[in-house]
Amino acid sequence: MAMTVDSAEQTGSGVSEGDAPAILIEHARKDYGRAAGGRREAVADVSIRVSRGALHGLLGPNGSGKTTTLKMLLGLVRPSSGRFEILGAPSTAPGARARLGFLPEQPYFPTQLTAGEAMRLYGRLAGLTRTQIAEQSAELLDRVGLDGRQKTLLSKFSRGMLQRLGLAAALLGDPEVLVLDEPASGLDPIGQRDVRNLMVELKNAGVTVLLSSHQLSEVEAISDEVTILNRGRVAARGHIDALLNVAGQTSVTARGQGELPPVVRPIVESVAISGATQVFSVPDDRVRTVVDALDDSGWRVVSVVPKRASLEDYFARMLDDDPSSDAPRKAGGR
Amino acid sequence: MRKVIAIAGAVVADAVRRKVVWVVAVFAALLAVAVPALPSYGVGVMAPVYREVSIALMWSAALAVGLALAATRIPVEVERRTVFNVISRDVRRWQYVLGSWLGMFAVLGVMVAAFPVATIGIGAFVYGEVMWRLFEGALGVWLEIGVIMSVAVALSCEFGSITSVVGALAFAFIGHAVVGLLKLPPDARPPWYWPTLDVFNVINPVAHGAGFGLVYGLSMIAAFVAWVAIFMIISSLVFGRRDL
Repeated sequence: MAMTVDSAEQTGSGVSEGDAPAILIEHARKDYGRAAGGRREAVADVSIRVSRGALHGLLGPNGSGKTTTLKMLLGLVRPSSGRFEILGAPSTAPGARARLGFLPEQPYFPTQLTAGEAMRLYGRLAGLTRTQIAEQSAELLDRVGLDGRQKTLLSKFSRGMLQRLGLAAALLGDPEVLVLDEPASGLDPIGQRDVRNLMVELKNAGVTVLLSSHQLSEVEAISDEVTILNRGRVAARGHIDALLNVAGQTSVTARGQGELPPVVRPIVESVAISGATQVFSVPDDRVRTVVDALDDSGWRVVSVVPKRASLEDYFARMLDDDPSSDAPRKAGGR
Repeated sequence: MRKVIAIAGAVVADAVRRKVVWVVAVFAALLAVAVPALPSYGVGVMAPVYREVSIALMWSAALAVGLALAATRIPVEVERRTVFNVISRDVRRWQYVLGSWLGMFAVLGVMVAAFPVATIGIGAFVYGEVMWRLFEGALGVWLEIGVIMSVAVALSCEFGSITSVVGALAFAFIGHAVVGLLKLPPDARPPWYWPTLDVFNVINPVAHGAGFGLVYGLSMIAAFVAWVAIFMIISSLVFGRRDL
């Protein structure tokens, strides 16, 4: 059963294209026939709604159905059932994917092409003119840190460079929607930071981003909304704050010498100490008492914010709670 | 059509970088030089025999290269996932299949054109005769191997490379065995509606006659278009149903 935190309902049909979400996936299902008989269910029932302009994280352990769901959206895999829309149009309709850019997990390119030739190929497939391709290629290669590599054969590119090229290729044609499958894969820490900044820049420019990633910290840092898949189903979805904020608890950071004031000590929990700084949680209704006591004792209150779990903790807890997480979910054999 | 041509262009660029065309061109020149040295020439070197052997070698080399390209291109692209970057865009699967075939057909065309250039040059040197008709033979070979490549592409949309090669070879064999299968006299032509590759067999008019006329050339092209259209439709249907 999915834990749904936000109140957004799937709008379904009857929505004009201008009001439609950037990406709408409803009741996606994919099962594969097997030579040994029976069927293997890769995706059981997944619904995802990505609002326009949002940066939406898609999370899940290996085999949870993330990539298969994205492949169904992008026409790479035929769905067994479900509805897939991009900017209000069925994703398989001619022209629907023209406004979408996609970075596959570990993008592969024809290695006998140069970076410039690859950009020309994908630019033409994106419907760009020769002039547009030349302009955008130079700008995008520069933006992803591949300036001056236009004439380099892709067989000479490292994995990280191919990843950067994949990002540049996905951005050709100024797509309104971007689907990124593990965009930081293969990148060094600087590259990962650059990609994260790029995603935020794109979001600020109004581009919708659907980000599938294993890097929970990355998703937590930049996503507005997340959908968590497990065993081919939606395990949780909602705004990142609503998912991670711990109800009834506030996190307080304070600086001071020695132990916390005696009046504060029995109230606080989960105390973490780093030098003169202490971080602890307090029940919401006792915050005023604690802050006043700290002030009176000469402590400096650095921050008072709603207590928030890390996405990693949330994710691990959610998977631990799922009783079906050991064995693959299977439909009846036929 | 722009996307089909873009995909075809990438196939050609890939083949050029892999030096497929240049290796085959050198191979063609070596064969052309070797033809007059064959043992059968000891009993009397004749230009028509030279032309016949040249066309046969051209066909064999084109078949080998054509099948190597056509039976491997799509399986390798799927296996290496390079196809994701194409299909995930606003590209229909039929455009991908047709573009891939068209690119390989263009590469084959360059290779088949190189062959008569080499053989005509050697022929002019050895026999003092410029055998322009070998270009007619090259056209027949190009079109026929193009059809066989479309069969290999169709098979490779579902099966692996080896199965596709074997299937395409079987098609080529059966396509030339129709006369025997129908128990027709050796020089007879099967009915026009009967599927056969014999329409592309122009060795006799090119090697021993005055070449084939314009009308026959057009009928060859019509047969080529019909065959390729059939197999491209099959390829698109099969590939369109496939999970990548």
